[in-house]
Amino acid sequence: MLRIWTDEWNTPRISLCVALIAGGAGCFGAAVGSWRAPEQALYCAIKLPLILLLTTVGNGLLNAMLAPLLGLNLPARQSFLAILVSFTLAAVILGAFSPLLAFLIWNLPPLTTAAESNLSAHSVILLGETAMIAFAGVAANVRLIQLLRLLSGHRTVARRILCAWLAGNLFLGSQLAWIARPFVGSPGLPVEFLRRDALEGSFFEALIRAARHLIFP
Amino acid sequence: MNTNVPMPPPLQPAIGPSPGPGPGSLRPLGDDPDDRISIPGLAGTIEAMLRYPRRVMFHLRAPQSGSLIGLMVLVALFCSLVYGVVVGSFSGESQYWAAPVKIAAGLFISALICLPSLYIFSCLSGSEARLMEVLGLVMGLLALMTILLIGFAPVAWVFSQSTTSIAAMGSLHLVFWAIATYFGLRFLHHGLRHLSGKPAGLRVWVLVFLLVMLQMSTAIRPIVGKSDRFLTNEKKFFIKHWMEQFDGGQAAQPSFRRP
Repeated sequence: MLRIWTDEWNTPRISLCVALIAGGAGCFGAAVGSWRAPEQALYCAIKLPLILLLTTVGNGLLNAMLAPLLGLNLPARQSFLAILVSFTLAAVILGAFSPLLAFLIWNLPPLTTAAESNLSAHSVILLGETAMIAFAGVAANVRLIQLLRLLSGHRTVARRILCAWLAGNLFLGSQLAWIARPFVGSPGLPVEFLRRDALEGSFFEALIRAARHLIFP
Repeated sequence: MNTNVPMPPPLQPAIGPSPGPGPGSLRPLGDDPDDRISIPGLAGTIEAMLRYPRRVMFHLRAPQSGSLIGLMVLVALFCSLVYGVVVGSFSGESQYWAAPVKIAAGLFISALICLPSLYIFSCLSGSEARLMEVLGLVMGLLALMTILLIGFAPVAWVFSQSTTSIAAMGSLHLVFWAIATYFGLRFLHHGLRHLSGKPAGLRVWVLVFLLVMLQMSTAIRPIVGKSDRFLTNEKKFFIKHWMEQFDGGQAAQPSFRRP
C-alpha cells in the first residue's frame, strides 16, 4: 500500500496527505491545548500540523541525499513521499487518539483551581500526550521500515536509512517544536501563539541546561 | 607433452583491480554499462556524486577527465558559497559575504595543501594513478561534502535564527561538517581502492586532512561569529580556540551576534 502511494507524484494523493496531517495532528493539537484555553486549542491545532509539514519539507533535500549514500538509490521524490506518508500515518493515529486525550483532559481539574492541582494536571497531560505521540511515531516508522526493506531488499540498508532519517527529523522537528511552544501552556504564563522569546535559544541548549541543573544542582 | 594446446585468451582488464564477486568485493570500473554513461552538466554531476559514484570514478580515469573535475570544482564552489551564506546568517551584516568566502577558500586551500601527500601515499602503495586522477578524487570529496552541507542548510538556518550561542552554533556546524566529511572520505576511499587496490597510509592521510581542515577553520576565524577585521592576526591551535569558546569566550566578545 505504502509503495503504491510513493511510486509516483500524484497531486490528489499528496493533497490528501496534507489534509490528513492538518486534520489528524490538528485535532490532537486542539485536544492538547484545550486544557489551558480555547485560544490555546486553536493555536495548537495550527502549530502541530505545521511542525510535521515543515520538518518534511526542511529535511526533504537531506533525506533524499542520505538514501542513495546509505545504499538505496531512491529518487528524491520517492524519499520525500515516503516520509510524508509516514508522517500522515502518524497524524492519522494522533487524530484517532485525540478524543481519548480530550476525554482525559476533560476529567482533569480545570485551570482555575489551586496551583498544586494545576501542576499535577499539567504533568498528566504531558505524560499522556507523550505516550500517544510515541505510539504514533513507532507505528508510522514500523510501516516506513517495511517500505524501505521492500525497496532495498536489505534489512541492514533499510535500518540504516531509517535511523538517518529519524535522526534528522527528530533534530529539526524538536527545534521547530521548541520555536512553536507553548502547546499545553504553562499555567503561570499567558496564552499566546508563540512565546516572545521563541527565537532565543534552542531545544538542545535547554536540554543541556536542564541536565546540568540535574547533575550539578 | 603436447605444447600445441591453445592457451585461453588473457582476460581484458577493465579499469581497476578485479577481485572476485561478492557483496563486499570491488567490481572493476566499467564492468557495469551504467558506469560508462556520460555525466552531463552540473546537475548530472551532483546526481552522479550522490547516486552513481562508480560512474564518477570511471570517468575520472578517462583521458578527458578535466571537464568532470572542472564541474566538480564548480559544484564544490557553489555549494560551499551557499552553505557559507547560511553560516553567515547567524551574525548577519558583513558575515553574509565573509563566511561564504572563508568557507570556500578554507576548503579548497586545505584540499590543495593535502593533495601532494595523498598522491605520494598513493604512489607508495604501488598505484599507477596520475596526479590528475588523485586531484579528481579530492575534488569529488569536496563536491560530495558540500552537496551534503546544502542538505543540512535548512536545519542550520533554523538553528542560526534561534540561538545566540556561538559555541552551540559552532558545534552544530562541526557535526554537519563531520557527517559530510565522512561521506566524502568514503567516496575518496572507494576511488583509491579502484586506483591502487589497498591504499596504504590512507588512515594517516585522513587524520592529517581532518587536522588541516579543523586548524584552517581556526586560522580563518571568525566564521560563525563576527569581528571588525576580516581575518585575525592571533595564532591559535583549534582545540585552544574551542576551549575558549566553551568557557564563555563569547561573553568577552559581545559584538559577535547581530542585535
